[in-house]
Amino acid sequence: MHKLCDAPSKAEEDLKAELVELVGDCKTYVLGMGNEDRGDDGAGIAVARKLKESFPRHSYSEHDGLEGIVLDISEKDEDAFVIFVDAADLREEPGTIRLVDAKEIRATEVTTHRVTVGLLMELLAKSGKRSTVVCIQPGSVEFGSEMTAPVNGAVETLVCLLSDIVERTTS
Amino acid sequence: MKTLEIVPLTRVEGDGGITVTLDGNKVESVTLDIHEGPRLIEQLVRGMKPDDDLNVVPRICAICTLSHKYAAIRGLEKALGIVPPEKAQLMRDLMMLGENVESNSLHTYLLALPDFLGYPSAIAMLGDYGDDVKRALKLKKFGNYVMEVTSGRIVHGENPGLGGFGRYPSRQRLNELSTRATELVPDAVRAVELFSSFDYPKYPEVETTFMSVNAPDGKFGLAGDSILVSKGEEVDAEDYRRLTSERVVPHSFAKRATYDGKTYTVGANARLINMGDRLDGQAADLFKDNYSDRWLKNPLLNNLAQAIEMVWALEHIPEATEMIAALDDPARAEATRKSGSGTGAVEAPRGILYHHYEIKDGLIEVADIITPTAQNLDDIEMHMRTCGERMLADGKSDAELLPALEMIARAYDPCISCATHLVRLKRI
Repeated sequence: MHKLCDAPSKAEEDLKAELVELVGDCKTYVLGMGNEDRGDDGAGIAVARKLKESFPRHSYSEHDGLEGIVLDISEKDEDAFVIFVDAADLREEPGTIRLVDAKEIRATEVTTHRVTVGLLMELLAKSGKRSTVVCIQPGSVEFGSEMTAPVNGAVETLVCLLSDIVERTTS
Repeated sequence: MKTLEIVPLTRVEGDGGITVTLDGNKVESVTLDIHEGPRLIEQLVRGMKPDDDLNVVPRICAICTLSHKYAAIRGLEKALGIVPPEKAQLMRDLMMLGENVESNSLHTYLLALPDFLGYPSAIAMLGDYGDDVKRALKLKKFGNYVMEVTSGRIVHGENPGLGGFGRYPSRQRLNELSTRATELVPDAVRAVELFSSFDYPKYPEVETTFMSVNAPDGKFGLAGDSILVSKGEEVDAEDYRRLTSERVVPHSFAKRATYDGKTYTVGANARLINMGDRLDGQAADLFKDNYSDRWLKNPLLNNLAQAIEMVWALEHIPEATEMIAALDDPARAEATRKSGSGTGAVEAPRGILYHHYEIKDGLIEVADIITPTAQNLDDIEMHMRTCGERMLADGKSDAELLPALEMIARAYDPCISCATHLVRLKRI
């Protein structure tokens, strides 16, 4: 197991406790969003891809067509919880991880040719499923840049933390 | 002077805004401002091998990634004297049908429909129109699946290449696409029913010119070697510079295009205006039932055109899959020369996309990419200005003006990321 998992910081423990409480006993799905061509903007996808190695049916990235995945989850006859992971400007230090409230997402999200996270969360809610967004503060989202060290660290931290949660709810 | 601003323009792809400058009831100017920074892809690919270019240029956009790839393939193949085998050509047609369904479903149902139904977003529509939101997601999911089966991945697939494909899908996969496409036709027809039921405002109406590719064999299609101009002209795609006359403007990172000094439109409405008589099946009936002279003047009808086109695309997927399944997997066609030039013209969901290449000794010397949104920007401004002047003359308030202008911009389904957010109102 990764070192960060063995020695989590207080902030990481708090985040995990918050997520565990939110998820409860629901089947957990992690959906990673972002653009890998823009450095740290690909953090969500990196998290989902690493988790997919151990939980192929519970972790998906933008490359899997998230709208279709959410539609499928919304139609499942089970208690499900979806954790969206994405890079977002939290006005924090690069690599900072924070849970962002759905209302906050809807108020600030500029919609594009992608289906918005807000719409996907609302669709899940209408189907009796719950969801949240875990955001990572990027350092650089320049086109063609590599992921920065702090964000790489955040990705590793989230993979450890979410592995425990997904494993607990799917086993 | 007074300035009205819409920044950012929502429900479009990329970072832009609209600025409207007013002097009393007179519209001084309307500018669609592109804030998205330039990415200089054309410079980046100079000196690259053609195969490497194909890995770079689709990065311009994650929405019409396959259109960019296909336009580049067509331009590069022309330059290198590559004649693709029939099965490869059919696979390219199929991947474009998938992208068309994916993009048109999202734009019609989730980005444009809230404007017409009076909701701020698709999220707000969920309560009253939840089934339609689900229809959009089902259609988009299917379009993505077609793209994955043909190109290898949903985004930036690497299976299509020069001279053919890395691998071809199994008969079982093709049959699955055929069945699912047929099942989804009623969901696309529902979009036509919705967009044909609206009372379209006349304020933005003014005649313009429409350009589309001329698909081969007298059929409706999404690629061609010549361009149809609605005023009756047909121009070789190699003459694209004459058709697009690019220029730069101070308020935008995106270049602008005019033809004979005038603005023009590309997109689903242009395709149907120029090739609608070639449609068949239910799409042909829907087009005949809904077409009128207003299509030549009112950009808002592009949404209806996209819905009809989505029906056409779904109806043609079974035919394409059957033809592909009937042919053996061919080897990739090889280049017959190392130097040359060629222009690829394809119909991205938003309109004609040109990729022009000049190659010397196997390396790219010149790359020139002209996107549909860049071609539409002047036309969007022209329709917004007309709309603004008429609404003000009709005593409409600024609060009424802003959403009307935003709707016009959105109707073109602009992809600002491709072209390089949206309205500001300024009073003097």
